Amino acid sequence: MNSPNPGCEEDVVIRTQIHLIRNLTDVPFCAKMSRADRQKLSERVAEAFSGNEALSHLFQFTDMESLSRVEAVSLVERHLVSADFISDRRGRGFFVNADETVSIMVNEEDHIHLQSSEVGLNPQKAFAAADSLDDILDKCLGFAFDENLGYLTQNPVNLGTGMRASLTLHLPALREGGGISRISSNLSKLRLALRGTFGSGVEPKGAVYQLSNHVTFGLSEQEAIANLQSIAMQLIEQERAARKELAESLEIQDTVSRSLAILQSAKMMANEEFMQLISNVRFGVAAGLIDPIDYGEINRLMVLVQPATLTFYSGKKLTPAERRSLRAEKIRDFLQKPSP
Amino acid sequence: MLCDSCGKNPVTTHIKTIINGELTEYSLCAECAQRLGYGNLLTGLGCDYGSLLGGFFGGAELDDPVRCKCCGATFDDIMRSGQVGCAQCYHTFYDRLIPLIQRIHGNTRHRGKVPGGGALQSRPQEQLSLMRRELREAIDAENFEHAASLRDRIKELEGGKAHE
Repeated sequence: MNSPNPGCEEDVVIRTQIHLIRNLTDVPFCAKMSRADRQKLSERVAEAFSGNEALSHLFQFTDMESLSRVEAVSLVERHLVSADFISDRRGRGFFVNADETVSIMVNEEDHIHLQSSEVGLNPQKAFAAADSLDDILDKCLGFAFDENLGYLTQNPVNLGTGMRASLTLHLPALREGGGISRISSNLSKLRLALRGTFGSGVEPKGAVYQLSNHVTFGLSEQEAIANLQSIAMQLIEQERAARKELAESLEIQDTVSRSLAILQSAKMMANEEFMQLISNVRFGVAAGLIDPIDYGEINRLMVLVQPATLTFYSGKKLTPAERRSLRAEKIRDFLQKPSP
Repeated sequence: MLCDSCGKNPVTTHIKTIINGELTEYSLCAECAQRLGYGNLLTGLGCDYGSLLGGFFGGAELDDPVRCKCCGATFDDIMRSGQVGCAQCYHTFYDRLIPLIQRIHGNTRHRGKVPGGGALQSRPQEQLSLMRRELREAIDAENFEHAASLRDRIKELEGGKAHE
């Protein structure tokens, strides 16, 4: 099996993200803040970072107003900020570390939205990084907390731990079998959500889904993570069983081979087509139908050729046709690299 | 306004997302939101439940002179917007917010991280809960040596003696 990080279930789990939301005690919550209030808070958080020797070296601050639209959208495509966060960039700030595994949105729905990412299934490690940064920031900024209600948030649904744990899953076989709606409905009864990413959510391109917890209250962080992990393991097993069956079909084998061939030779590639083809290839790798390709590299490619990110890193304005051509070139380069 | 997905029912949820490099907003009805995994009480990650609190209170008007000293919000403001004004509001309107929080969460006591201690140094009750879970798993896996050790530690935490 192609897995450089054993135990991380990378054939199915693309990434783990832990989100913590926090607010300061002496400032109104974001909906009641003026643009000047937001800017002041952003500066206050920036001072907390610069006043801490370790953090000042690890994190870079960006005033969201200083970014172009393409740069801002690219941050969402790279899973560093939410789409909501860039919808109004006034008075909003953003911190990120060098390897883009930890980021902080200032003045999103709450004052601080801290998120930590890890490759594959690794909630403990992602949580540990978020937790230690939370401790440091709490010392500098003093987060609003109540013994009975936990961390105080603008929307009471987030009270308690203020923590969301989410897993990005690749579920091509369960999608093929038409079981996603049933699973999603069962999960909502357990107060977990499964929803499509990369697309409108109706029929997500690339069979990429996000599984996340809803319960923040009356459950500790560790318990919430254990619950999510336990449900995720069941989903992973279901997906693997479905893949095994699918992989025996000659039609599916043909689809995988054709998908790889198109990616290797196309001169122009639309994003939606790419997401579908790379999903087929990722499935083919996991099912052993084609030669191994590192999952981490596939995940990186899936981000790098997203429209805004591709444009941003090209350093110039691209027409849709130029973008499709550059995407195809990046994909060909990637697939020509020697296999591990 | 009708749902972008089914085109039949009225919109209850707005979701912002990026599609093909463009910031896009979807308006969904409750049914489609549920079907697409946006139906539960999830915010801060791209969902908008602004009218949630108003819904819980049936939109009743209150003539209430009490204002939060920090942000100036009244309880009516919180109900209308679905958003609490500031941390101080939770103390100012504590008694009135508690029934609402109970309706949302069904449990009115926080478990988990307490500032300063780090989440990993959780409260004894939390540790107990985790250890009981581990004990069940150990028994299921027929790992009886580990189960016995866990049982002793649970007894210690509960205040009993491990070996009587």
